[in-house]
Amino acid sequence: MPLDKSNRRVQVLGIDAGGTMTDTFFVDSDGEFVVGKAQSTPQNEALGLIASSKEGLEHWGLTLEDALGEIQTGVYSGTAMLNRVVQRKGLRCGLIVNAGMEDFHRMGRAIQAYLGFAYEDRIHLNTHYYDAPLVPRHLTRGVMERVDMSGTVVIPLREETARQAAHDLIAQDVEGIVISLLHSYRNPGHERRVRDIVLEEIAASGKTIPVFASTDYYPVRKETHRTNTTILEAYAAEPSRQTLQKITSAFKDNGSKFDFRVMATHGGTISWKAKELARTIVSGPIGGVIGAKYLGEVLGYANIACSDIGGTSFDVALITQNELTIRNDPDMARLVLSLPLVAMDSVGAGAGSFIRLDPYTKAIKLGPDSAGYRVGVCWEASGIETVTISDCHVILGYLNPDNFLGGQVKLDRQRAWNAMKEQIADPLGLSVEDAAAGVIELLDSDLRDYLRSMISGKGSTPGNFVCFSYGGAGPVHTYGYTEGLGFEDVIVPAWAAGFSAFGCAAADFEYRYDKSLDINIASDAGDELKAAQAQTLQAAWEELKERVLEEFEINGYSADRVKLQPGFRMQYRGQLNDLEIESPIGEAHSAADWDKLVEAFNDTYGRVYAASARSPELGYSVTGAIMRGTVPIPKPKIPKEELQGETPPEEAKLGTRKFYRHKTWVDAQLYRMETLQPGNRITGPAVIESDATTFVVPGGFETWLDGHRLFHLKEV
Amino acid sequence: MAYTKAKIKDLVDGKIDRDTLHTMLSTPKDKERFQIYLEILQEQVDWDDPIILPLGPKLFIVQRLSDRKWVIRSKAGYDFCDWDQNWKLHARIRVRNTAAQMEELYPRLMAPSPDWQVIREYFCPLSGDLLDVEAPTPWYPVIHDFEPDIETFYKDWLGLAVPERA
Repeated sequence: MPLDKSNRRVQVLGIDAGGTMTDTFFVDSDGEFVVGKAQSTPQNEALGLIASSKEGLEHWGLTLEDALGEIQTGVYSGTAMLNRVVQRKGLRCGLIVNAGMEDFHRMGRAIQAYLGFAYEDRIHLNTHYYDAPLVPRHLTRGVMERVDMSGTVVIPLREETARQAAHDLIAQDVEGIVISLLHSYRNPGHERRVRDIVLEEIAASGKTIPVFASTDYYPVRKETHRTNTTILEAYAAEPSRQTLQKITSAFKDNGSKFDFRVMATHGGTISWKAKELARTIVSGPIGGVIGAKYLGEVLGYANIACSDIGGTSFDVALITQNELTIRNDPDMARLVLSLPLVAMDSVGAGAGSFIRLDPYTKAIKLGPDSAGYRVGVCWEASGIETVTISDCHVILGYLNPDNFLGGQVKLDRQRAWNAMKEQIADPLGLSVEDAAAGVIELLDSDLRDYLRSMISGKGSTPGNFVCFSYGGAGPVHTYGYTEGLGFEDVIVPAWAAGFSAFGCAAADFEYRYDKSLDINIASDAGDELKAAQAQTLQAAWEELKERVLEEFEINGYSADRVKLQPGFRMQYRGQLNDLEIESPIGEAHSAADWDKLVEAFNDTYGRVYAASARSPELGYSVTGAIMRGTVPIPKPKIPKEELQGETPPEEAKLGTRKFYRHKTWVDAQLYRMETLQPGNRITGPAVIESDATTFVVPGGFETWLDGHRLFHLKEV
Repeated sequence: MAYTKAKIKDLVDGKIDRDTLHTMLSTPKDKERFQIYLEILQEQVDWDDPIILPLGPKLFIVQRLSDRKWVIRSKAGYDFCDWDQNWKLHARIRVRNTAAQMEELYPRLMAPSPDWQVIREYFCPLSGDLLDVEAPTPWYPVIHDFEPDIETFYKDWLGLAVPERA
């Protein structure tokens, strides 16, 4: 990839502000890209962003000012909102629920006492605790009314109780009022009436307080999920909007002309001006999955196992037949939420994970906590005293201590060696090398088992999947966690470290809204009934469509420029899990339309599970309606270069380094990743270094760089 | 993992932060913990005889400096008996065995019936500190709660020298 070029036009900027590193990813008009990395600055994210951008653009010999003026699109994903929620630094909100139900928010379905815990802690009751509720009990009020689960009014709304609740909360000077009544997704009448009463009372008081009714935002079942999510809008979204605005203006000060979009949980990007911003609460790891899906679509990989190792976790997601799995009620920041989230599984083991010995059994224990951005003992300034996985890498020669983050951080191998000897090797009676190699093998086998079980849990085998490996630490472990699994192919993108940011840049500008439905129909139902169900679904689509179009209008896109894609969640009656289906038709009115929906469901079911597992005799349930809207945006091009010979050019060689594996030290050939040419083939032991990542090819493996700058790794 | 003495003191005082507490609970105990813990307890009492093992928030097995005997002592300084005897037999005792006494503690009908269960409260004769409570059937002997094997605990578990004992 030529690094210096005149007339370079930078077009796309992707940002992944993680807990450890802030990555930026710049793409030019020819599809060439460069990755910038800097340590995150949680106090003021803009600092890390600017530093990372400068670092990246330096490789192209550009200044920030030169590049920013030309960029057309910028996508942000980061942890600003998550931190605000975790630290409970949101706004002071009031909550109105059903009288008698005032405590359910803080009880958090009981599950919130241990969400996010490692397995050992989940079964260790002493560790369970509840975080402070987002809305304290003294700012919660009940109103008298009841709607049952079919939407029937059981107790009419006693309006005076709503007025009293509004009075109380307004008098306490809340900064937002959230209303969430039982079963309002089924029958929103009472909730909307309460909302209007609250608005009247606010107007009468002369104050300005925003009001959030759950039915206007998340008309979906499960009241704790729905209430938490609506509270997030009031509590955290507004301040986060200001953070995003600050980042935008920091970039504008440096000459940018674009408005940032934000990666959202459903896998699309939305504007920071969006009405529903709570769904940007977690976005970082999703970027990689979107990037893998995009690459897969362009290059023809339909089944992909995405694996991402960063400093703190190992994240895995599966793409089957170019489709992501969306989870409807995920948990984040120890809260259960009703947001559509790209399904991903996480193990708390990354390159920064601490290594400890159980003092009684002498078993090696990895994590669950980690040094995060502080790397490990090998970085003296970090203050870390417990050895980490990264320390093992430095000891064994996997990492170049002088080129970590392009030399921004100097690592001290001897320091890591001494700590490893004292904490792990001596107590186990092993040599330091064997102890470190043992730790790496243990981690690799943990990750391998996890990957295998995840794929077999889907009724498939690794042979049907291409494994993508990315994240700063991913390529160091790729050989280890894929060895022996028999993936169809194992791919490491040359821009592995910035892959999440790349994915953000590749994501659609997309809004998605969901609504719960309860459609139930037997397989032998008559046409009239089928048509009625189709119309129920259509009514929900209409409602969601309006909201999608409204969001685009805020960003200046008129309805005719928006591509709408309706969807639904369907299951066989009586089964527990539904599937998300893209509707084959734009609108549903008749029995014939209904049959097309059912056919699409049966097809998908047969593909995801097995054709013989289809059970149409049970009849069908539709549990939810979905509406997605997209507008076209510029996306990064995937590079395409001419293949050169198999022998890497001499200038790519960086000498050798002692490398330890399988009880022997060998001399691993070092290469500079950027200088390798498409078509080059490298046989291990070799280490391919880049500023932001290191790709390890041990003995018994070989890798080949294709024309898209993707490394293919295989066992020989 | 080692914790500072200030952190352990926060733990003893019930003021420790949530994150550190969680880490403490879910990782194996730090080697130095017991000694630091004893140091903190020692600083909280008005006498110098070394604490060997705490039996409760205000009750300890100590090595009496004057004669090197191991005795059970309250925080206020009352020596109950030898370390391996039942100190409760030497304490001030109140037995709640009527409905009226029970209802000082519990709402009516939510207290145990004194025919089946009594509450025995054990106090320090010097300070009146409540040191322990037991709730057995009325005929049950005074319970000897804990007979620690201090020698094994010090030598084999902690790897410490066993304090001298006369």
